[in-house]
Amino acid sequence: MAKLMVVDEAAFMRLRACKFLQDNGHEVVQAENGAEAVRQYAEHRPDAVLMDITMPEMDGLAALKEIRKLDPNARVAMVTAMGQQAIVMEALKAGAKDFVLKPFQPDRVLGALQKLLAA
Amino acid sequence: MKAEFINPFLQAATQVLESELGAAPQRGTIGLQRSAYTSNEVTAVVGVTGGVSGMVLFSMAESTARGMVGVMMGQDFPEFDALAQSGIAEIGNVVTGRAAVLLAEAGFPSDLAPPMLIVGKGTLLSTLDVQRLVIPLETEFGSIEVQAALKENASARRAA
Repeated sequence: MAKLMVVDEAAFMRLRACKFLQDNGHEVVQAENGAEAVRQYAEHRPDAVLMDITMPEMDGLAALKEIRKLDPNARVAMVTAMGQQAIVMEALKAGAKDFVLKPFQPDRVLGALQKLLAA
Repeated sequence: MKAEFINPFLQAATQVLESELGAAPQRGTIGLQRSAYTSNEVTAVVGVTGGVSGMVLFSMAESTARGMVGVMMGQDFPEFDALAQSGIAEIGNVVTGRAAVLLAEAGFPSDLAPPMLIVGKGTLLSTLDVQRLVIPLETEFGSIEVQAALKENASARRAA
């Protein structure tokens, strides 16, 4: 069992991911924007993070950079409805370990988490 | 409405609904409308800016909306509550996001505004002089209409 953090502005998508991960035996912390994600990361130090990109207050890329300042070894996969190469490259340059494209696909999410947790 | 705008939305909506609902929707006859849109019980609205600008509407009955979010979350939604509303808005967001990727590949790079929801039947929403591409889709939970009111933004396309 791992401690995971799900970050997504959309309550439905956040709760859906949390429910799925809890059903798979993981402990899950959630945050609804980037700023909250940074606070929650500092408090809970999750083993891996699934982070949406487009969020208010602080977006996923900015939150990724802040989390990597707190923990250079943070294991973060970015989640987005958009699949543009530029966003992928920017996230990977900023230290993201993987990329998950919406819509939510259980096998893809579990695969990304396995990769993150093995890193 | 440019012909190049049709396939990205058709492909995106079909792929996302098939992934989320477990079965591909059946496509009805695609058409163009200029008259004001009259809202169904639930309408998700996603704004688009950039090489293409306008908005995309996802229109359905409340029972269809509750059925879809129910299968996605794995629980019943007897009410169209805030969580169910969030789910429908996100479907609109994901379909439009997927279509935006395909539009970018076709030379129309575009960004999305956060999704919004109109809840209630009978509201008139005019897209003024912009025609709407209407794609009817039939799911096991009922009908969904994807309506895209978009126009090419030549200056943004040149800048990209």
